[in-house]
Amino acid sequence: MGSFAFLTDRVWLRALARDAFGKDFWGFLAAAIGFGVLCWWWKGAEVTLEALRSDVEMVLKVLPRIVLALSIAALIWVMLPRDRISGLVGQEAGLAGLIIATMAGALTPGGPSSAYALLAVLGTSGADRGAMIAYITAWATLGLQRVLVWDVPFMGAEFAMLRVLVSLPLPILAGLIARRLPFEMILRDFVPMTAKGRGE
Amino acid sequence: MMSIGIVILTVCLLVLVFLALRRREDPGPVVRRMLEQFSKLIPRMLCALVAAGFIAQLIPQQAIAALLGEEAGIVALPIAALSGLIVPAGPVIAFAIAAVFAKSGASAAALVTFITSWTLFATHRILIYELPLLGPSFLRIRAVSVLVMPFAAGALAMLIGLMTSYGTPIIH
Repeated sequence: MGSFAFLTDRVWLRALARDAFGKDFWGFLAAAIGFGVLCWWWKGAEVTLEALRSDVEMVLKVLPRIVLALSIAALIWVMLPRDRISGLVGQEAGLAGLIIATMAGALTPGGPSSAYALLAVLGTSGADRGAMIAYITAWATLGLQRVLVWDVPFMGAEFAMLRVLVSLPLPILAGLIARRLPFEMILRDFVPMTAKGRGE
Repeated sequence: MMSIGIVILTVCLLVLVFLALRRREDPGPVVRRMLEQFSKLIPRMLCALVAAGFIAQLIPQQAIAALLGEEAGIVALPIAALSGLIVPAGPVIAFAIAAVFAKSGASAAALVTFITSWTLFATHRILIYELPLLGPSFLRIRAVSVLVMPFAAGALAMLIGLMTSYGTPIIH
């Protein structure tokens, strides 16, 4: 199984461990313990243990959803190449262009590093500003990965659906506004880089 | 109760796995990406969830409910938008805060406004990605174009809230 060679790659494994238990992790752990101690000191043992019990309950409930959501995100990441998405945007003008940009933004997997790199490519390849704004607004407000990985586990599926529903018109609205703004857009010269995903 | 969230996620996953099998997708890169994301997110996420539970006990919940709850009415939206604006961090912290708000009794409309405002204006993202890759003139156009969006989303959610209680966050 050549495609699984990374599993025995020492460098990759070490990077994986660093990602999981790097400085950030200890910061978050310290915060969790710190607030726990504060809670104990301020509100007493009973409240603290009750909070801890409901935290553990929530973690057990949320964990399977997060594992499912991240598996979905990984499949989309591999099956939907980023350059295919950028090829779609900017081909159509008018409202159709904004709708396509919105769908592309919602489907772009990965965190801000991939979305903004793609946006910069769109800019240099001549997509209009309406489509660019619609694209990045859709990625931010409707991004499928954010909804699946964050909204659903943390806030529940009903809330996630509500948020998606009310956010549907936003990117198109923002694109329409952007086309009417009298500001000039001077884009940076962009050197394409390899879009490496960050965990978001 | 079998949660609808799990059902939706499982169906999505099965559809994608089916598509991947039909396309004879190489499973290696998928597993690799999965493990990378797991290790990046899960340890931190779990700590943030536990911390959020303690913080919810420590902060004055009545105050949050008064500012962001149903009784605050339309005033909750600007407050929520402002709170979203000043969270200069990634989703782990932003959603932990949203969970604390939800536990304290914030309304669905206020939470929608908070998340929309954070996701559109997250300062770290502007500084790390938007300014270096696209420059200040793009940021100006974008900021003006999306300025009203947190309120638009919140107001829509509020309207839906008048008709149905659908969409209330799950209070763990």
